[in-house]
Amino acid sequence: MAAGKRGNVYVVVGMAGAGKTSFLERVATYLERSGKPPYIINLDPAAMRLPYDANIDIRDTVDYKSVMSEYCLGPNGAILTSANLFATRFDKVVSICDLRAQDYEYFFIDTPGQIEIFTWSASGIMITDMLSAHFRTTILFILDTPQCQNPQIFMSNMLQAVSVLYRSRLAVILVFNKIDVASHAPLVKLLSDMSLFQSELEGVSDFSSTLTQSLHLILQEFYEHLKIVGVSAATGSGVEEVISVLEDVGAG
Amino acid sequence: MNVFLSLRSTTNHGTVLSPRRAFAPTFSMPYAQLVVGPAGSGKSTYCHNVHQHCASLGRTLSVINLDPAADEFRYPVTADVRELISLEDVMEEEELGPNGALMFCMEYLEDNMDDWLAEQLEGYMEDDMVIFDCPGQLELYSHHSAFKSMTEKMTGWGWKMVCVYILDAQFISDGTKFIAGCLQAQSAMLHLALPHVNILSKVDMLQDKSVLEPYLCPDHQRLANELDERMDPKYRKLNHAIASVMEDFALISFAPLDISDEESLQFVLYQCDCAIGYGEDADVRTSRDVEYGDEPDMSNLSLE
Ligand SMILES: Nc1nc2c(ncn2[C@@H]2O[C@H](COP(=O)(O)OP(=O)(O)OP(=O)(O)O)[C@@H](O)[C@H]2O)c(=O)[nH]1
Ligand SMILES: Nc1nc2c(ncn2[C@@H]2O[C@H](COP(=O)(O)OP(=O)(O)OP(=O)(O)O)[C@@H](O)[C@H]2O)c(=O)[nH]1
Ligand SMILES: [Mg+2]
Ligand SMILES: [Mg+2]
Repeated sequence: MAAGKRGNVYVVVGMAGAGKTSFLERVATYLERSGKPPYIINLDPAAMRLPYDANIDIRDTVDYKSVMSEYCLGPNGAILTSANLFATRFDKVVSICDLRAQDYEYFFIDTPGQIEIFTWSASGIMITDMLSAHFRTTILFILDTPQCQNPQIFMSNMLQAVSVLYRSRLAVILVFNKIDVASHAPLVKLLSDMSLFQSELEGVSDFSSTLTQSLHLILQEFYEHLKIVGVSAATGSGVEEVISVLEDVGAG
Repeated sequence: MNVFLSLRSTTNHGTVLSPRRAFAPTFSMPYAQLVVGPAGSGKSTYCHNVHQHCASLGRTLSVINLDPAADEFRYPVTADVRELISLEDVMEEEELGPNGALMFCMEYLEDNMDDWLAEQLEGYMEDDMVIFDCPGQLELYSHHSAFKSMTEKMTGWGWKMVCVYILDAQFISDGTKFIAGCLQAQSAMLHLALPHVNILSKVDMLQDKSVLEPYLCPDHQRLANELDERMDPKYRKLNHAIASVMEDFALISFAPLDISDEESLQFVLYQCDCAIGYGEDADVRTSRDVEYGDEPDMSNLSLE
């Protein structure tokens, strides 16, 4: 990593409801207790309630409801547009973080469930590019482990993760959340072992299963570059492991 | 890799990618386009333009709105999911955020397919075409059950469906961005298992249209090389794995859509028609063309 980059920024992305916000709350509490409170930026304009104290909150800058009416947009369009508006001022956020980098070791960014911000639209790339120019920046991709027990949902999440990797060109850590409900171990096995995947797919249509099998070749390569952790934002199990992975990445 | 080679030969037009139902040649059924893609990508605009284009050709086509968050329409709305359920009511009554409320509406639609949807689709006959304008929320197409159930239901009712996946062309600036978009479209392809047409919208807004050229029908080796240039060297094998899967499945052809250009609309529509075999039966087409050549087809107007 380039010398002179101070501070570690972790961008928390994932499908709607995967537990990004809850995960951040859990990690923040843990870090506070260990005397290293994190600096948190909320990018979700439609968040109703945040369980942690955000240091910077998009909702203070962009009123998502008036974006909806002003631009005649539906809720999804409004969230994307709010992100665009905020992205144009993100240089300010970066300079604040720059100043704060003396006092904080960890910076986290909570994001809306519209993952296309980071897989497709322009704002996500502006944000990750600006961040990675100044800080050691990593993507934490949160998965809903119980939902991912369905192989198609799992595959779709993984394709999103690959997509975020190419879009942002940043290292990706897979965080399997909600392991209090279902274990992530079988999924990790699935990623590394093609034969298991085939048996999971029995009963799926021929076309989908052939495509899935060959997409699996992609995932096998992807797996080589991944760090993977399991956590429960609800019970706190796995948090130590998460922190140690973050420290590893932070150390370069 | 032999399996893929044999697949490739049949997938040049992206038409045979999903299991097609076997129909007796004389028995043709209605057609439908499911227009999906990220928020704001131009789905409703596409519906409007295709509707207009077809009207000018004397080809009838109905547009059904399935987006509970939509509020203005530039096309005549034949049926509207908002008659079934209102997003605002759901947000209020269920105390849900916009995302949750939209999901709730779609689940409600899923529960009401046999009555509401079936009723809206009554009376369509052979060679009629319906376009569904859908909400811009990706998980609906990558893993939520509502649209999957809907396409399964409609296929069961005898509809021939194509998924039209719309992405905004302005977001393609290099190979890595392009791949990210392809993977999005692929999730939908995998989940919905329908014939698939990918469209790049808003091409009229590009200052330099030539940037798209390498991506419309990309050379896979070139794409892999471009990824190699832009990504950390450790991702080389991944780059090549992605490029080769794309090649094997002929997955990544995109049709550019410039709404200011009728020819471009015509081309896009032609791709969709090919994907579901609309107008394949030449006899039927000719007789219809002759029959309706002079006056517009009024038979569908009573169907509302
Ligand atoms: N059982 C269990 N539930 C969890 C866990 N983490 C989150 N949840 C629940 O999952 C739901 C979504 O959690 P959020 O933290 O709001 O998810 P999010 O990813 O921030 O959601 P959006 O911001 O809407 O995309 C909530 O009902 C949480 O209580 C977990 O580890 N275990
Ligand atoms: N110039 C130009 N503008 C377009 C085109 N397609 C869409 N737009 C504009 O992009 C914006 C969004 O278009 P919509 O058609 O509403 O997009 P949508 O995908 O239906 O959006 P949601 O339903 O909110 O997900 C509107 O302001 C359109 O006028 C296009 O081909 N060319
Ligand atoms: Mg959240
Ligand atoms: Mg729309």
